[in-house]
Amino acid sequence: MFANADTIRLLFPELVLVLAATAIFVGGTFYRNRAVWHLSALAAFVVAGLALALTPLSKDLYGPVTHDGLSEALRWLLLITGVFFTAASWQSSSRELAPEQIGSIMLAVVGAMLAAAANDLVLLFLGLELISIPTYMLLFVGRRDRDSAEAAAKYFFLSIASSAVLLYGLSFVYGLAGTTRLVGDAPTMGIRDAILLLGDDPRAALSPFALLLVLAGLGFKLAAVPFHFYAPDVYQGTTSTNAALLATLPKFAAAAGIVRVVLECLPIEAGHAWQVLLVLSILSMTIGNVCALWQTNLRRLLAYSSIAHSGYMLIGLTVAQAGAAMGGVDPTYGGVSALVFYLAVYTFASLGSFAALSAMGTGGREATSVDDLAGTGRTQPLAAAAMAVFMFSLAGIPPLAGFWGKFTLLSSAINLATSAEGATSHWLIALSVIGVLNAAVAAAYYLRVVGVMYFQSGVGPNRARTQPGGALAATLGCAALVIAIGIVPTYLLRVTVEADDGVREVLIQGPATAHRPVETPTLAARINRD
Amino acid sequence: MPAPLERMTDSLLLLIALLLPLAGAALLWIIAPAGRDAVRYTALGVTLLTLIAAGAVVYDYTQAAPLLENPAEALAVTDVPWLTDGLLEIHFNIGVDGLGVWMFGLSALLFVTAVLVSWEAIKDREPLFYAMLLLLEFGCLGVFTARDLILFYVFFEFTLIPLFFLIGIWGSEARRYAAIKFFLFTLAGSLLTFLGLLAIVLWDYQRSGSLNFSIPELTASLADRPMPADMQLWVFLALFAGFAIKVPLFPVHTWLPLAHVQAPTAGSVILAGILLKIGVYGFVRFSMALLPDATVTCTPWILWLSVAGIIYGALVALAQADIKRLIAYSSVSHLGYCMLGLFSLNVLGANGGLLQMVNHGLSTGGLFACVGLLYERYHTREIKQYGGIARRLPILAFFMLVFTFSSIGLPGLNGFPGEFMVLQGMFQRAWQDFTQLNQSMTLIIAVMAMSGVVLGAWYMLQLVQKVFFGPLKEPELHDEADGDAHPVVPDLCLREILALAPLVAFILWIGLRPNDFVPAFDRSVRPVVAGTDAVLFQRAMARQAALQATESTPTQEKIARVR
Repeated sequence: MFANADTIRLLFPELVLVLAATAIFVGGTFYRNRAVWHLSALAAFVVAGLALALTPLSKDLYGPVTHDGLSEALRWLLLITGVFFTAASWQSSSRELAPEQIGSIMLAVVGAMLAAAANDLVLLFLGLELISIPTYMLLFVGRRDRDSAEAAAKYFFLSIASSAVLLYGLSFVYGLAGTTRLVGDAPTMGIRDAILLLGDDPRAALSPFALLLVLAGLGFKLAAVPFHFYAPDVYQGTTSTNAALLATLPKFAAAAGIVRVVLECLPIEAGHAWQVLLVLSILSMTIGNVCALWQTNLRRLLAYSSIAHSGYMLIGLTVAQAGAAMGGVDPTYGGVSALVFYLAVYTFASLGSFAALSAMGTGGREATSVDDLAGTGRTQPLAAAAMAVFMFSLAGIPPLAGFWGKFTLLSSAINLATSAEGATSHWLIALSVIGVLNAAVAAAYYLRVVGVMYFQSGVGPNRARTQPGGALAATLGCAALVIAIGIVPTYLLRVTVEADDGVREVLIQGPATAHRPVETPTLAARINRD
Repeated sequence: MPAPLERMTDSLLLLIALLLPLAGAALLWIIAPAGRDAVRYTALGVTLLTLIAAGAVVYDYTQAAPLLENPAEALAVTDVPWLTDGLLEIHFNIGVDGLGVWMFGLSALLFVTAVLVSWEAIKDREPLFYAMLLLLEFGCLGVFTARDLILFYVFFEFTLIPLFFLIGIWGSEARRYAAIKFFLFTLAGSLLTFLGLLAIVLWDYQRSGSLNFSIPELTASLADRPMPADMQLWVFLALFAGFAIKVPLFPVHTWLPLAHVQAPTAGSVILAGILLKIGVYGFVRFSMALLPDATVTCTPWILWLSVAGIIYGALVALAQADIKRLIAYSSVSHLGYCMLGLFSLNVLGANGGLLQMVNHGLSTGGLFACVGLLYERYHTREIKQYGGIARRLPILAFFMLVFTFSSIGLPGLNGFPGEFMVLQGMFQRAWQDFTQLNQSMTLIIAVMAMSGVVLGAWYMLQLVQKVFFGPLKEPELHDEADGDAHPVVPDLCLREILALAPLVAFILWIGLRPNDFVPAFDRSVRPVVAGTDAVLFQRAMARQAALQATESTPTQEKIARVR
C-alpha cells in the first residue's frame, strides 16, 4: 500500500513534472528546439502549481507522503525556484542539449519536492537521490574542459559517499524503530512513536550513531562545514545555472530531511542534536565567511557564501532542536519558521546572483572573476542593480528580504535564550552574537562585489552580452521578489509559521498510547513469515 | 489640544514629508533621460516640498505640544500594521515627539543645502546621485520619526546604502576604501545593537505576554517591570556597540575622518549634520530610557570616553593639514559634548546635549558646505596652499566665519547656549553626586571638558586665520591656467548663498532665543531623567544603609573598649 489513491493525489504536482520531464527527454531526441522545450517546461511548472494549489493540507493524514505546512511551504518555494531555473538556463544551454538540460533541472526540482513531502525514510532517500542523479548529468553534459570534468567527478564521488553515509544512518533509524514511516497515524505507528516507546531498551544506545550519520549525510547536501569542501571547486568548475542549482535545491531537501528525521523522529537524541547542530552552525558561518573574504572567483565566493548561509539555516534548526529538548507547549520557538523563511530569502538572492552572473557576462562568456564585473554598474545597469540588491539582501541589510531572514532567526534564538536558563541560554546567546558578527564579516565581501560594479570603471571593451533575455528575466524576477519580501514580509512569514505549526503539532504529541512497542522483526523472521 | 481634524492633517503631512523623497527618487529614475537640468531641478523641488511639509509638521508640533496632557507623547501619528502573523506585531508607526522633532526639521533643511551645494560639483551620473541623496533623506527622516523598534532599525540601517554609494561613486581618491570601511564599521556595531533591541523586546514578551515592538509601549512596560541589573548591563553594551560607533565615541571614531574626507560635499554635510546624531538619539531614546540601571552603572565610563574624545579630537584637529580632516576631527570633539550632556543625567545637561546635537548639525553642516564650495573653486583642501582668501571671496569668508563662531560657542550664536547648558549640567552632576570620589571625578571631567572649548577656539580660529586672512595666496589652478594670469575665481553665487543662508538664520535664532527650541527636548527628556534619577536615588539609599551598618559596629566596639 505504498501508493494508494491518497498518495497519488498528494504527489500529483510531482507526477506532472516527471511526466513532462520524461516527455521532454524523449521528445528532445526527435525535435531540437530550445524555445519549445523551455516553454513546455514552464507550462509544466504552472500546471504543477495549479495542482499544488488544489491539494488540501493533510494534517491528520500520515501516509508515505504528507502535505503539512512544511511540505506545502517548501514545495511552493521549489516550484517558483523551478520557474526561475527554467528561465535562467535559457542561454547557458546549447541548442542541442537544451532538452536534456531542462529535463534534468525538472527532475532535480521534483527530487527536492519529494524530499520535502516525504513521510517515509525510503521516499526521503529517493528524493535526495533524485536531486543528485540529474545533477551529475548537468555537471557533465556539454562541457569538455578539465575544470568541469574535475567538478563533475568530485561531486559524483563525494555525493555517492555521502549518500552511503546517510543510508547507513537511516538504517540505524530503521533498526531502532522497525518501521520506515516517519510520523504515524492511528493505525500505523511512526518512527517517532516507536522511538519514544523504546524506554530503556538497550537498542536505544544506537541512537547517537543514527544521529551523527544522518547529520553527516544531510550536512553534505546542506554544504555545512565540515562537509563543505566540495562546494567551492564544484561551483567554480561549472556554469552559473548549475552552481545555482547546487546551491539551492539540496539545501531544501537537507533542511526538510533534518526536520523530519532528526527533529521529529529522534526525540531521545534532542539533547545531543542541538549541540551538534550548534557546533556545525558556528563552524559553517565562520569558516564560510572568512574563506569567502579571500576569493577572487565569483562562483567560489558565492560557494563560500552559501556555506555560511547554511550555517545561518542551522541556527533555526538548533533553536527548534534545543526547544524540543526542553519540551513545553511551544517546542520549536519559531526555529522551523525562521529556517524556512531564511531558506526562501536565501534561495531567491542566491539564485538571482548566479543568474545575474550569467546575464552580465561579456562576449559570450559568463562573468567569473570579481574583476569581470568592473564597470557593469554603467554598462549593464539593470543586471548590476539587481546584483547589488542580492548582495545587500545576502548581507541582511534592511529593507531587503535578507534582513527579515536574519530577524526571524535571531529573534527565535533570543526568544529561546531568554526563556531557557543556564548553559542552553548562554550557548544560544553566543550563537546569536557569532551570527551577527559573521554578518558583518560577510558584508565585507558582498560590498566588495558592489564596489567593483559601481566604483570601478571597466577595463577593456565592455560589450554587453548579445541576448541576456532569459537569465536577465530570472535575475529581475528574483530581485523583484527580494525587494517585495523585504517591504511586505507578512505573506511569506504566514506560510512559514504554518510550517512551524505543523512541526510543533508533531513535537507536542506524546507517543500514541494505542501503540504497543513492536518487536523489530529480524530479517530472517520476516523472510520466514513471508 | 488641536481638533482631531487638524491632527489628521498633521499625520498626513508627516506621511507626505516622509514619502516624498522616496517618490522623488523613483521620479528621478523616470526623468533621467530628460537631462541634467531636469534632474537637478526635480531633486531641488522634491527637497523643497519635503521641507515645506516637514516645516508645517514641526510648526504644528510646537503649537500643539505644550497643551498635551502627557508631554512626552508624539503627534502626527500614523500607525498601521506592517508585519503581523498573530504573534509578531510590527507596525509602520511614525510620529514626531520632542526628542526627534528638531532633528527631523534639521534633516529636511540640510537636504536642501545638500542639493544646492552639489549643483555644479556633481558632473557624473547625476540621476543616480540625486536619487541616492533623496533615498538618504527618506532614511534620515524615517529614523527620527519611527516609533516602532524594527521600523527604527530598518531606517537606521537603510541610511547606510545610499551613503555607501554617495561616498563610493562620487568621493575623492580613496573613496572605495572609505565607503567600505564606513559601511562595515557601522554595520558591525549596529548588528549588535539589533541583537540588544531584540533581547529587550523578547524579555518583555516573556514577562508581559505580548510581542511588543512599539517604542512608547515598551518604554512604559519596562518602566513597570525593569530588567534585572546584570541583563540590563549586557543589553546596554550591545546597544552601546552600535550607537557609540555611530556617534562616534573616542576609540571607535577612526572611520569618521576617512569617510568625511573622501565623501562628496553633500555626503559630508549629511554625515556630519544628521547621521552622527542618530547615535546620540539612539542613546537617549533606547539606552537611557529603557535601561536606566545600566545607564547609571556605565555613566562614569561613558563620561571618560566622551571627554577623551573631546580632548583627543581637538588636539588631533590642531595638527591637521587638510581642512576637511580638521573639521571631521572637530566633529569627534563636539559630539563628545552631546554625550557629556546626556550622561550628566540631569534635565539641564540632557537638554544641552540634545540642543548641541542640532547646533552641531547646523554649524558643522555649514562648515563642510563652505569647504566644499572652496574646494570646487581651487581643487585642493590643503590649508597651507591657501591664504587671504577673504579678499578674493568675501561672501564665502563671511559664512565661514559665522559657522566657525557658532562652532566655538560665541555668545549670541547657537553654540553658546548648548555648550553652556552641557557644562552647567556636568557641574550640577558633580554637586549632586554622593561620594567624594564621584564628585571629584565628575568635577575633573567637567574641567577637562572646559579645556576642550579653549582648544576648539584655537584650532578653528587658526584655520580661518590661515585660510582666509593674511597675505593673499591662491593655490595654482593647473588645469585651467592658460598664461601667467591667475584665473578669476568667482565668489558665491545666489544659489550658494541660498544654500547657506537658512543655516545662518537658524544659528542666530537658536543663539538669541534658545527657549523656542529647548522646551521640546525638555518635555521628552524629563521622563528619561526621572528613570535614571530613581536608580541614583535607590543606590544612594542603599549606600547610606550600608554605611550605617558598617559604622555601627566600630562605634559599639569603641563603647565596649571604653567600658
